[in-house]
Amino acid sequence: MKGFVRRRLLWVSLLVAATVSVASVYTLWAGATTRAAYLTGWLLFGVMVVLTGYNWFKKIPYLPLGRSEVWLQFHIYAGLFTGVLFLLHVKGQWPTGWFEIVLTCLYGVVMISGVVGLFISRGWPKRLTARGGEVPFDRIPIIRRELRERAEAMALAVVAEAKSATIAEFYARRLQDFFAGSRHFLSHLFEIRQPLNALVHEFNELNRFLNEQERKVADQLVALVRQKDGLDYQHALQLTLRLWLFIHIPVTYSLMLWAVAHIILVYGFSAGAR
Amino acid sequence: MDTVHFVIDKPQRWDSSFDPDMSEADVTRLMALRPFSEMDLEKFSKRTPLSGILKNDARIRRFKNGEIIVRAGDYGSSAFLVLSGHARVVLNPGLPASMLGRRKSQRKGLFEIVAQLWTNPRDPEVRTEAELEQDSGVKARSGSKGAGVFLQDVPRILDEHKTATMSAGDFFGEIAALSRTSRTATIFAVGDATELLEIRWQGLRDLLRFDVHLRHHIDRIYRERTLATHLREIPIFKRLSDEQLKRVIEQTQFGTYGDYDWSGDYKRLAKEGKHSPEKETIIAQEGDYPNGVVLIRSGFARLSQKFGHGHRTLNYLGAGCEFGLREIAHNWRHPADAVPFQQTLRVIGYTHVIVVPTAVMEEVVLPTVAESALPPIFTPGELAETEVSETTRTLDAGAKIGPELMEFLTENRFFNGSSTMVIDLERCTRCDDCVRACATTNEGNPRFLRHGQISGRIMVANSCMHCADPVCLIGCPTGAIHRGQVGGEVIVNQATCIGCSICSNNCPYEAIRMVEIREEDGAFMVDKDMRPIVKATKCDKCSDQIGGPACERSCPHGALKRMDMNNLDAFAKWLHR
Repeated sequence: MKGFVRRRLLWVSLLVAATVSVASVYTLWAGATTRAAYLTGWLLFGVMVVLTGYNWFKKIPYLPLGRSEVWLQFHIYAGLFTGVLFLLHVKGQWPTGWFEIVLTCLYGVVMISGVVGLFISRGWPKRLTARGGEVPFDRIPIIRRELRERAEAMALAVVAEAKSATIAEFYARRLQDFFAGSRHFLSHLFEIRQPLNALVHEFNELNRFLNEQERKVADQLVALVRQKDGLDYQHALQLTLRLWLFIHIPVTYSLMLWAVAHIILVYGFSAGAR
Repeated sequence: MDTVHFVIDKPQRWDSSFDPDMSEADVTRLMALRPFSEMDLEKFSKRTPLSGILKNDARIRRFKNGEIIVRAGDYGSSAFLVLSGHARVVLNPGLPASMLGRRKSQRKGLFEIVAQLWTNPRDPEVRTEAELEQDSGVKARSGSKGAGVFLQDVPRILDEHKTATMSAGDFFGEIAALSRTSRTATIFAVGDATELLEIRWQGLRDLLRFDVHLRHHIDRIYRERTLATHLREIPIFKRLSDEQLKRVIEQTQFGTYGDYDWSGDYKRLAKEGKHSPEKETIIAQEGDYPNGVVLIRSGFARLSQKFGHGHRTLNYLGAGCEFGLREIAHNWRHPADAVPFQQTLRVIGYTHVIVVPTAVMEEVVLPTVAESALPPIFTPGELAETEVSETTRTLDAGAKIGPELMEFLTENRFFNGSSTMVIDLERCTRCDDCVRACATTNEGNPRFLRHGQISGRIMVANSCMHCADPVCLIGCPTGAIHRGQVGGEVIVNQATCIGCSICSNNCPYEAIRMVEIREEDGAFMVDKDMRPIVKATKCDKCSDQIGGPACERSCPHGALKRMDMNNLDAFAKWLHR
């Protein structure tokens, strides 16, 4: 059995064991006391605090707290476990008051963003690798500018050489904006090649108005367009691989604040824990 | 249209002399001294006369009392001849690392680790006074005529350590220079009038080629001091009696292939895209008669086999590996079905080998080896290439990690790494947690780039690989860059680094960076001429931290791993995890 499969089996077993244990205890308690929600509530809050701690763990890598890989596995499965706790805590019902609705929505956003993040973290690196053209995220603007300058220089130079402005006009009309920034964000995310194919098709249409010299330049421009498209692909996927955390983490902190307020309100209106 | 042609002179052997200040008068003086006065000038070629070697490949150096000439553990590319004065060799157990200008190997305590929460400076590349403080027993100097490290209290050292004196006419450092092994002892000058002739390895190589006396002298030293110990460590020679071992040593040949300074050439050729395995020097060729067992003493060699019209890399062999034993053992047991070499052995960069001739193997060595310890004989199917034996399968690393990856590691010379940073791009989310963790742990500046050569899903990042053959160590004037005593990692002592960039220029993998350092208040440190103080920085595998390399620990997806590229089984296991 391969390492990753073995690891997944171990964590899934732990999750199932924890779920069965909590559900059993809850079933026993629910019959005996009216305060079973306190058990699930505090357990849920405790797990959420530990899950939030993963972000802090990353900021202090010099402390010997173990490998981030193990903590992420814990984070994923403990995160899924909060789903079980949350359902038990709300007894499977949709909340009625606006405060609880906001709390539930915040929890939902954190959970969904986490699952989406996990999904893209596992799948998209393979897409980036398969497409090739690996480039560090912070170098993308520099490379993009280089490509734009090369394309611009080609389009301008051919005017004097071929005594025709066909390519320069096509550049101004169709390519200037393409090279100016990151384009076709959603198409890249969903692996749609239509925008690139359309642009290449326009080049093919243009070919009949070009002489031999211009055709060579057009071929070089198509190569640059493909390079730029690859760069946009890297940008779109790498940006999304980072962006989901900009939803997951701030909403987590909002959720924690809301949860603290929820605890205060619960204890305030129930005259304290008994 | 006229074409402009750039005409340049063809590069010559001595375009760059060791010391431009070496004068004709110096050469005349040296020619009158032993051993040069006894050398037969007629034996030297017209293109490399003795006077030319002395003028271009040697330099006269004067050392002051207590100045370290060579340090135990350093890698040096030159040998020394004492011209006047005296030098002392520190015998075992040698001087402590701190006295040699090296960093004390010590991990931070738990409190120190936790205290980094509030003690880590806000600005990058801050050096504290304690970090730049040199050991009380040592002092570094830098200047236009070189740099060095001084032992402060020579009388005390002479009292506390066993030493031997070297005087005018004595040679030292030649074995380490020629075989690219580390210096075995520390030698320092005694008195202010110690004058030495330093000969770089190219000059030493030519002297050995043209002067039979010097060749015999070094040959004898090498056989006496090094060969016996080395052969005793190899299993098939273990059962030899002293007499038999002596006979083997007498018949053993040794040779150095490739270029000592291969990193410069490699960097240039790689940049020009002209590097090709077919151009590598062949040590032993597939199909040739096996005339001896080749034992690799230092450096690396490529093991390849004919495949189509080219050669397929099977593996790379490093120090301690052998080549040709199976063929010779087969032929000894089955003389009627003698087989030639089944693979080709090529030099990668630099390789120092020992060759035990077939006749000696057959007459002296093989009869002492138990049948079970001998390699298996070749089967007819194997020779007809219709089956693959277990031995070949074990040897064929390309089959385990994939032939493309094998070629990639060899072409880019990543086999040199004992702690190469490999990233699995199919798991790496490009989150840069590794980069941030490295920066947080190391003076606010990452010690690597998460970028590098790619083959399939594997990227080898630009990070120090803590090479088995660390070319960066060659030429460091103060010994600031050295191997740590605990894990063998290559580290830079910030106190004795003078910022000369030699290590950075030598590194073929561009893993060492020069940085301007700051004081604790964030201001850049400057010397008395108001020039910024520069230090070499590189990955030290977080050797002072408890948990190991922060980059590896901080990767949430297990995509980054520090791998020993000479343990391809572990690499294969990680790839197929």
